Amino acid sequence: MAQMIITGLICGALLGFVMQRGRFCLTGGFRDMYIAKDNRMFYALLIAIAVQSIGVYLLIQTGVIQFSAGAFPWVAVIIGSFIFGIGIVFAGGCATGTWYRAGEGLIGSWIALFGYMVMSAVMKSGFLFPVNQSLQATTLPSNSIPETLGVSVWIFIAILVAVVIWILIKEVNKPKVVIPSLKPKRTGLSYFLFEKRWHPFFTAVLIGAIAILAWPLSQATGRMAGLGITTPSANIIQYSVTGDVSYINWGVFLVLGIFLGSFIAAKASREFRFRMPDTKTGINSFIGGNLMGFGASLAGGCSIGNGLVMTAMMTWQGWISLLFIILGTWTASYFVFVRPQKIKAQSVSTTA
Amino acid sequence: MAKTLETMGQVCPFPLIEAKKAIEDIHSGEELIINFDCTQATESIPRWAAEEGHSITNYEAIGDAAWTITVQKK
Repeated sequence: MAQMIITGLICGALLGFVMQRGRFCLTGGFRDMYIAKDNRMFYALLIAIAVQSIGVYLLIQTGVIQFSAGAFPWVAVIIGSFIFGIGIVFAGGCATGTWYRAGEGLIGSWIALFGYMVMSAVMKSGFLFPVNQSLQATTLPSNSIPETLGVSVWIFIAILVAVVIWILIKEVNKPKVVIPSLKPKRTGLSYFLFEKRWHPFFTAVLIGAIAILAWPLSQATGRMAGLGITTPSANIIQYSVTGDVSYINWGVFLVLGIFLGSFIAAKASREFRFRMPDTKTGINSFIGGNLMGFGASLAGGCSIGNGLVMTAMMTWQGWISLLFIILGTWTASYFVFVRPQKIKAQSVSTTA
Repeated sequence: MAKTLETMGQVCPFPLIEAKKAIEDIHSGEELIINFDCTQATESIPRWAAEEGHSITNYEAIGDAAWTITVQKK
């Protein structure tokens, strides 16, 4: 138990710290691919996936950890991921993003987090469990892409690494714009940790490394998985209302650690402040949180569990989930950001 | 005379969306002061300004999780 608490909290705190300082926001990243034609955060995610994939498959081959891909509940993954993608736009952050923004003091994220945690518990052991179960019952036999195609996983890892290297070369050769930064008030390590702007690709490498670390730490406590957010978030509610200790696992301390690490990073960088949203943002956060919990529970993972981890494991679930999360994000972005602008522009031109 | 855009309390990406709208209403050489408290905008607003070719004449933290940036339209 002590080991679970300590390694879970440390791994989570590292992740929360790095995400807060690196402004690692997948919701913003997926949204900006569409509304700003900016793919940088998506590229950063690919880097994190590639780093993790290499590390985890080395650990599997050397027998340090075990992984079994299982079956592929394709209907639940497609529907769930799309709904999750819509939810994160309304909530203003994905599941992990909501955990770390809660640590920055955003009350809107507290509201989203509450909706997300409760709805996840409702889907996993509450009255919506039968719905969840029946949708997950439609499966394809193999979830592993290399297994389905009968080739080595390293071929897919090599392809991904090649794509990442190609992106890096393309990005490095782009004309550089100097991005103005705040006047530095600190020096040395303190400047680097709490003030300097981190490049998203640097942050991505750190996140990939933390995702590797999560596997052996989690498996040492009997939880046979890597980073995961949704099930542990549901577990907190399930434990809270039943008192059943079997709901407590490494993942619970991981998510609590994200909150803690982000709080430490924000506080030390003077970026922590309780911020109350207006009514509309508050309601959107609550609706978004519930959609997130519903979607991620159905899909068997959020943008981290499926989008970062199951992708690195080279599963159908991971890559198809990532695609539908992005499509969900774009659909919601159209209605929340693009369409209101168009309507406004039209009404201006007709009144003029 | 600089125009001030108050976006305190707005979550991302709204401060940037508002800034893009507001800069259309001012003339070249005029300044737009944007006050914001959404952490991600510390990255997205200066990046947008730099990529659009506007200059930043002031950028500082004005308190815990509160920033001000002055963009001079190109």
